[in-house]
Amino acid sequence: MDDRPHKAHRPSQSGGKAEKKDKGKGKEKQHGFNEKAFAPKSGRRADKQGRRNVERDQTRLHVPLVNRTPDSEPPPVIIAIVGPPGVGKTTLLKSLVRRYTKQTLNEVKGPVTVVSGKKRRLTFIECNNDLNSMIDIGKIADLVLLMVDGSFGFEMETFEFLNVLQSHGFPKVIGILTHLDLIKKAATLKDTKKALKKRFWTEIYQGAKLFYLSGVLNGRYPDTEILNLSRFVSVMKFRPLVFRNAHPYLLADRIEDLTPREEVRLSKGKCDRTVTVYGYVRGTNLRQGTKVHIPGVGDLDMKSVTILGDPCPLPDADSEKRRKLSEKKKLLIHAPMSDIGGVMYDKDAVWINVPGSFTRGNADVPQGEGEQMVMDLQDAGATLEDGVAQSHIRLFGSSSKHLTVEAPVDDEESDGDEEDESGDEEEDESGIESGDASEDDDDDDDDEAAPNPHSTGRSSRRDVTRTLPTASTSKIQRADIEYAESDSDLGDEDEEEDMGRRFRMEDGDPLDIPSDDDMMDEDEDEDGEEDETAPRWKANLAAKAQAASSNSRRRKDWMKLIYSTELTPEEVLSGKEENPINVDGDDDDELFRFKNVPRKEEDDEVDSSKDTWKEEDLKKWEDDDMLDSIRGLFITGPAAEDGGEGEGYEDAEDAGGDFEDLEAGDDAPPPTTSEPLKAESSRAAALASKKEELKRKFDEQYDDPEASKVDFYTEKKDEISRQLQLNIDEFKDVPAEARALVEGFRPGTYVRIELVDVPCEMIEHFDPAYPIIVGGLLPAEERFGYVQVRIKRHRWYVKTLKTNDPLIFSLGWRRFQSVPIYSLDDHSIRMRMLKYTPEHMHCYATFYGPVSLPNTGFCAFNSLAADTPGFRVSATGVVLDIDRSVKIVKKIKLTGVPYKIFKNTAFVRDMFSTALEVAKFEGANIRTVSGIRGQVKKGLSKPDGAFRATFEDKVLKSDIIFLRAWYSIQPRKFYNPVTSLLLSDKSQWTGMRLTGQVRREEGIKTPLNVNSTYKRIERPERRFNPLIIPKKLQAALPYASKPRVMKPQRQQTYLQKRAVVMEPEERKAVALLQQIRALRKDQVARRKEKKSEKNAEHRKKVEKAEERKNEKVKERKKEVMRATGRKSKREAEAEEGRGSKRRKT
Amino acid sequence: MAHAAGLVQFSGHQHLRLRLVLSLLSGKAVRIDKIRSEDKNPGLRDFEISLLRLLEKVTNGTIIEISVTGTAILVKPGIISGGPLTHDCPLSKSIGYFLEPVVMLAPFAKKPFQLTLRGITTDEHDLSVDLFRTVTLPHLQLFGISDGLELRIKKRGAAPAGGGEVQFLCPIVKQVKTLNFVEPGKIKRIRGIAHAVRVNPQFSNRMIEASRSILNRYIPDIYLYSDVYKGEESGKSPGYALTLLAESTTSALHCSEAISQPGVAPEDIALQATRALLAEIDKGGCVDRQHQTLVLLMMVLGSEDVGRCRMSEPTPRTIQFLRDVRSFFGTSFKIVAADPVDKECSHLLYSCYGIGYINSNRTLA
Repeated sequence: MDDRPHKAHRPSQSGGKAEKKDKGKGKEKQHGFNEKAFAPKSGRRADKQGRRNVERDQTRLHVPLVNRTPDSEPPPVIIAIVGPPGVGKTTLLKSLVRRYTKQTLNEVKGPVTVVSGKKRRLTFIECNNDLNSMIDIGKIADLVLLMVDGSFGFEMETFEFLNVLQSHGFPKVIGILTHLDLIKKAATLKDTKKALKKRFWTEIYQGAKLFYLSGVLNGRYPDTEILNLSRFVSVMKFRPLVFRNAHPYLLADRIEDLTPREEVRLSKGKCDRTVTVYGYVRGTNLRQGTKVHIPGVGDLDMKSVTILGDPCPLPDADSEKRRKLSEKKKLLIHAPMSDIGGVMYDKDAVWINVPGSFTRGNADVPQGEGEQMVMDLQDAGATLEDGVAQSHIRLFGSSSKHLTVEAPVDDEESDGDEEDESGDEEEDESGIESGDASEDDDDDDDDEAAPNPHSTGRSSRRDVTRTLPTASTSKIQRADIEYAESDSDLGDEDEEEDMGRRFRMEDGDPLDIPSDDDMMDEDEDEDGEEDETAPRWKANLAAKAQAASSNSRRRKDWMKLIYSTELTPEEVLSGKEENPINVDGDDDDELFRFKNVPRKEEDDEVDSSKDTWKEEDLKKWEDDDMLDSIRGLFITGPAAEDGGEGEGYEDAEDAGGDFEDLEAGDDAPPPTTSEPLKAESSRAAALASKKEELKRKFDEQYDDPEASKVDFYTEKKDEISRQLQLNIDEFKDVPAEARALVEGFRPGTYVRIELVDVPCEMIEHFDPAYPIIVGGLLPAEERFGYVQVRIKRHRWYVKTLKTNDPLIFSLGWRRFQSVPIYSLDDHSIRMRMLKYTPEHMHCYATFYGPVSLPNTGFCAFNSLAADTPGFRVSATGVVLDIDRSVKIVKKIKLTGVPYKIFKNTAFVRDMFSTALEVAKFEGANIRTVSGIRGQVKKGLSKPDGAFRATFEDKVLKSDIIFLRAWYSIQPRKFYNPVTSLLLSDKSQWTGMRLTGQVRREEGIKTPLNVNSTYKRIERPERRFNPLIIPKKLQAALPYASKPRVMKPQRQQTYLQKRAVVMEPEERKAVALLQQIRALRKDQVARRKEKKSEKNAEHRKKVEKAEERKNEKVKERKKEVMRATGRKSKREAEAEEGRGSKRRKT
Repeated sequence: MAHAAGLVQFSGHQHLRLRLVLSLLSGKAVRIDKIRSEDKNPGLRDFEISLLRLLEKVTNGTIIEISVTGTAILVKPGIISGGPLTHDCPLSKSIGYFLEPVVMLAPFAKKPFQLTLRGITTDEHDLSVDLFRTVTLPHLQLFGISDGLELRIKKRGAAPAGGGEVQFLCPIVKQVKTLNFVEPGKIKRIRGIAHAVRVNPQFSNRMIEASRSILNRYIPDIYLYSDVYKGEESGKSPGYALTLLAESTTSALHCSEAISQPGVAPEDIALQATRALLAEIDKGGCVDRQHQTLVLLMMVLGSEDVGRCRMSEPTPRTIQFLRDVRSFFGTSFKIVAADPVDKECSHLLYSCYGIGYINSNRTLA
């Protein structure tokens, strides 16, 4: 029965249902806003709706934030795919990459960058389940695809990740439910979706987007669902986050080791490495000379930063035109860590990865015997000589064919002196290489290592660079700039004949001209892809030349004089020509600045800020003509003629001068025609613009005076956009290199950063699954100090946090362990230490560590290890204050006992041990347990540490006296960065452990101090002696106060004393009396019982009567109500009747 | 490059103040050696020591190491703390020498500055307190440092014996505004302060007369005050001075000053000041020459935007300052002619990309 197919549904072709459907179709077509449908029905409702609209508008407003990311060429959006293992992250990544590039990735490692549209590129990165990675990813991701296993529900890591996100600025989050196909029952599926969505919404915000992905097809998610997701991603807008808007950073998509191989070999791979990382600059401009922090590695110095050609450029009209038909389907993808896209560009080399041929570490390609052998050779740790000898012996046995194939590849490797990025284990050199490398070693001090090896195999062009004494590589950077500046001068030379200066330029420059040429040549050699760099460069040249030609000849190039010469300031001003010898000297080494400057006595005055005018400068002002000459500078003076006074001020009346106007003036084309003509035209233009302005003003005031008034928000927004435009315009015509010097590297440029002194473990244990982030540090953040934060224990963290227990902070870019002290503000007088964090309340914490700007959020962990049970985020908070000293106190109570008591004076001992201590505390307030206050007076000589104290009342011998004092404590200067990226097993980082943890792991028992053990407290009962009032005193006392003490009666009373002996009759009488009394008692009891019975019966009767009575009353009431109801109804009807009648008339 | 160690090195005693200021702001340690090592009297002078003391007072955690000979110092800067402080300046330099670095630091302190300085208020080497009050502080206002910014001249003290006292109040800011000042405008008013202490009060009136004889031809809006301090408030030595300032339509300020010299008539002093002012106006630009460094520093510290300012040619001090800024902050200026068309115009347009300096010392809550 099950086998038989169900009858397919056939929609009805006619009848009511079909008509209904047709109607629906018609309705669907009707687009646009139906005014009537939403018009308010009543005035009150309209008012309500209006209010609501206004409120909604307000919620839309945010504090206007500057977006530092340029609109023209933004860096790729980082999309992090986060979720627990097995949830389908890689599948999603592959599906998305396939959607954008039509390529299927086999293995994904590291970030993958794709072009998603005309103006958007995306970088996908998969986040593994390590908390360290999650923290780092959370700091850089623009959009998080949070994957949740629908069949399982949320896991702890998801919540941990969300909490990490919350403390570092919340990026956009899209939830994705997968494994929904595992839920078979439709009802369960619906409930699950609903439940998960509810939880997700409470965690993020009401209405957060949650996607559902059904099952996997061909190892990918269904194409339509991925398409939908990608549409969501493509229209997503991102709000700048404060921290990222103040720091430059990049997500490294590629990393290379540049350390000379020989050095690595000699140190057995333990030497510090020189490493280059590549990536798009994000956040703010990246400046040279700043420090960077790589989370998981530490603070590093940038030796140089170079702009590289964009490996994944946005399509422009030109590139689209040149795209061949065959390439139409092959879209760009940049994923160097995943071995995709065979060609990679470096500063001075191009790497071609030929799949199928031999590459190290590529297990997929079958390796021949010879290849295996060569690889063994490379792995051999033997010395060079041995290696050569061995290689000879071995090589004879193998076929020579493989060797010939290898040779070029090997050569390429040695040339670049870099590791093949797929094989990141260290490589030992063959003979040729080491020869090369030893050469490097020689001039290692000159930091020449990086460019030098490349020059070995090149043509003579390279030799130009080598003939000059080269400076440090950081200098190359500078020289780049000089070169760039000389662009303008190169332009100059067409027209001007100032040979002396030009000569000097060339002197300074040739260092880099060839190398740049080189790069260009290489680019052209390689591919058409990089071709556009050359035209751009040339265009710059032309523009610059044009700009420079407009410059006056006599004019000094101040930037050059100030920044790249050795002249003293006085010489710069007096216009002295530069000494050519000085030119190649270090221009940036401040140490040697003054060496050859003769010191003069009058230099003493240099540090005074007042500029005194020389006598002759003032003399000329005695002349009346001279005095008249500056009349134009005053408002009363004649209007500025065309450059008459040489000042050429713009219209001064235009005081509130609009910014745009000014820009227009600046951007005016340089004068090419004759002067007067130009002046005339400019005047006309100025007049026209003025008229325009006036007209606009008038229109505004006349038409709608309110329209010109903009609200604060719009005003701010305009201001921001104007400033951003200025930022772009100001350095538009400056060549890229010079611009990099002045403003740093803009977000969106692809750069190569050379880092020095990188720990070797970072390279040796490199794993592309763990993201490498290069975060730029602000000048303040390089420093250390005490950081005061407001902290709150996370409500899901089960334990309380204890002062002086190490805590791992994720603050700024850094992750580090430090030892906080918790405190609370005590009546604004003191910061009082807390032993434990309070429940459900914020408190302060102070720890020693790297400084972060106030208002930076952070989260803290007790352990980052994956096997930690429970919720790992232990606290969150925000930085409040940075200081170099802290004032946290804890209470200390010193106790003592009185040993001699006078009236109000007592001698106290056991509080201090020496007289010196007493002297320190003279005048301090003390108190007894019973609350008698007093003061320390003076130390006593006899028992050491005893002192005289006075009290407001007489103290008891048994009183304990205590002194309350405050003891200031300092946080321990402990800072331990989490160097997780340096470990071979990256999730196994352990920081400082607690003493108890160490003992437990080492199996050591806690040492037991006998004095600290708790013993049973024995409190003997106090016995008070009776109060004895002396006889004399008693006699003197008034009668009322006299103690009335009577002696207890000694003698027995009469009744006690007498004995009773009864007669027989008497005894009988007594017995009879007793019997009668017993009978009487019994009788009374019985009577009582009877009476109570009767009473109960009577009560029952009364109750019944009452009930009956009540019923009657009720009935009567009902009757009355009915009557009144009828009456009112009648009245109402009568009313209505009248009303209706009235309506009718 | 000295950046590597976070230590910047210099030689010579020149530009000591600005270098210390840059060090404190950037947080980079600075080492200055060969301080008058060739001199007959080597090492730091008393006023430099006093300056170091002052800087130690206004900061927390600053470590200053001075070599045995006094020819080398190492300063590891702490944080700028501010708050109420008092400092006695030595008589070898005027208060202006000490006030100038403090003015640069004060907006970035933890607590608002309330600094009382005692010493000489006016001398010929450094800016007088009058100039600070009327010219320097308005320059700070360009950068959004205005509410509560004040310099109170409690007492005046002329050159040899001093005895003056000023109180400097400065608010703290989170970040300075980006400057965009390219319109020098035209001079619309001239103000001046003539003061005379422990001499005939008529002197100041004579100076005003003489100055007006030149200035009256330009604009009518001239107001020269005669500032009188009597008795205890007039310090310990006799002296008088004339301070002039010219304000343009775009509120660019130019100033000059001349102070009494023995054997020179007050009229001549006034003429000297007036001519200096005219020379300064002739130089033009949006910023006075004596305040170039202050304005440039604030531009560097501005938000991460392009700041522009039109000024006259740099003074030697400014040139060295620009170089020092680069070694501390890595920022260089783009300096081009302000008017590429006009060949006679000596004005330069200084533009730089601010480093986005945020006052990290400021306490939240």
